[in-house]
Amino acid sequence: MIIVNDLEKHYRIAKRDPGLRGAIKSLFHRKYETKKAVKGINMHINAGEMVGYIGANGAGKSTTIKMLTGILTPTSGEVKVNGIVPYENRKQNASHIGAIFGQRTQLFWDIPVRESYELLKHIYEIPQKQYEETLAEFVDVLHLGPLLGIPVRQLSLGQKMRCELAAAFLHRPKVVYLDEPTIGLDVAVKVRIRAFIKQMNARYGTTVLLTTHDMQDIEEICQRIIIIDDGNVIYDGSIQDIKSQFGEKRVIHFELEDSITECVLPEELKKVAKILPRTDEDHHNVSISFSNKDISGAEVIHSMMNQYSVADLTIADAKIETIVEEIYGRGMKGRVHHEEIH
Amino acid sequence: MIRYMKLYYLFCKQNLKVMMEYRMDFLLGVLSVMLQQFAGIFFVKIVFDHIHELNGWTFYEILFIYGIAATGRSIHHIFFDNLWTLGWQYIRPGKFDRLLIRPINPLFHFIADRLQQDGFGQLFIGIIVISTAMPHLDISWGVLEFAILVVMIIASGFIFVAINLFFATLSFWMVDSLPIVWTIFNLSDFARYPLTIYHKGIRYLLTWIIPYGFTAFYPAAYFIEGSGFEKLALLTPIIAVISCIAAYWFWNRGLRAFTSTGS
Repeated sequence: MIIVNDLEKHYRIAKRDPGLRGAIKSLFHRKYETKKAVKGINMHINAGEMVGYIGANGAGKSTTIKMLTGILTPTSGEVKVNGIVPYENRKQNASHIGAIFGQRTQLFWDIPVRESYELLKHIYEIPQKQYEETLAEFVDVLHLGPLLGIPVRQLSLGQKMRCELAAAFLHRPKVVYLDEPTIGLDVAVKVRIRAFIKQMNARYGTTVLLTTHDMQDIEEICQRIIIIDDGNVIYDGSIQDIKSQFGEKRVIHFELEDSITECVLPEELKKVAKILPRTDEDHHNVSISFSNKDISGAEVIHSMMNQYSVADLTIADAKIETIVEEIYGRGMKGRVHHEEIH
Repeated sequence: MIRYMKLYYLFCKQNLKVMMEYRMDFLLGVLSVMLQQFAGIFFVKIVFDHIHELNGWTFYEILFIYGIAATGRSIHHIFFDNLWTLGWQYIRPGKFDRLLIRPINPLFHFIADRLQQDGFGQLFIGIIVISTAMPHLDISWGVLEFAILVVMIIASGFIFVAINLFFATLSFWMVDSLPIVWTIFNLSDFARYPLTIYHKGIRYLLTWIIPYGFTAFYPAAYFIEGSGFEKLALLTPIIAVISCIAAYWFWNRGLRAFTSTGS
């Protein structure tokens, strides 16, 4: 359904010196540098698959999705969605896809939701009967009934997202790109949205590519994940695989009473555990990763509490989130190393 | 084509509904544009209270030119007003992407997204001014003359559209070209007076480079005997078609640049 080979996208961005002087200078003489947002991605997604596409901010997720939808033309490489090259046949591609881009609405701002759907019906040339059936189904699953008469601008975030979702699936697209569909929503709405996506996939065989920072979304919806970092695919496989590969890894976050610049592991942990790169500024937090095979969580906590005065601690589950965190961590370290060489 | 006409009708219907929802907005908008137009006409009237002719042109002839400009511009103002917003409302906030993932022509979608009520004020004034000036011209108005007048006005409107489209398209490269669009649009004020009162350079510019001359003066001159521009005036519809084709070609180039660089 989606075929991507050696896909690359480079941006040319103007480089300018800081301050007003730099701004004036750049008016006359501009230096450009090339930023490689996507550096040779390969992925093959079959019809009916639901794939989680994850990566840190700026990893190249949105750029990839823009190329898949035809909004951006790739610098090089091959893209085919449903046999169509999106950037060459944008309109043709558009009639087979649905999309949600984060907080940007696809609906018409000033008019009631129902009228928005009516317009979409004509834009996508949906047969009347199919339209009525689909809408009735969506109203039922997403509880849209009371919202249909309200202009989009008056809806709350959760209500709007439910309406957006219906709009993205209204023409029964073959592929749907969901860029952060659950961002900023409460748990009840998230649950409803996940159920809806799964139902659409089961009933119509819709292929779904989902980007999110909410790992719960991924675990509940997707069978497969693709992790991207710094423009490269660093993992592509089933969630089961990644879990069994990294699944025994556990992480415990300690919050210490005193600020410590360099945390040293207690002697007995040195061989079996390691400290994750720190993200906090005030050096109160330490995260320790270890494997269940080597040592139990209780022992780690015990050793740490002997050496430091611990204010609080949280034990992270062996969830995909932890694994991804670790993979990001590695990617990050790799990059730091890379910069040092230059 | 039929599909697009039907879609346009549906978009229009929605836009009208929104307009009716903000009734006060509608009335104020129409009134303010009418006032603005009146001020311009009032100024011409004051000038002509002191002189009888302006470089050989009478008050009613000038009024007629003015009327054609206002009516032609109203077509642009009512139906194509969204062109002003390309940079700051679509490209800068990333809303333009929405148009690119729909299975219809993005320019059509962009234009149809908005109907500008204020333009109706312009239309009323234009029609009033034209009908005031018409009986005072040395021409007998038959069906043919009327038909030509209508064609001229529509052509005038589309020249306005083409020029704005052309310069709005620059937004694809520079994010927001609004200041340029404004500057160019202000040139159209020159075209509301007989071009013969200007220097040759300006006349050439407004005829062949940025053809605002064809939005008012030349089409009006067709109906004014002895103006010497009757033949040139007949070019108006052709100029309109050429301008639209050129602007649309430029738009497509802009779109290509946009899709290869992103915003």
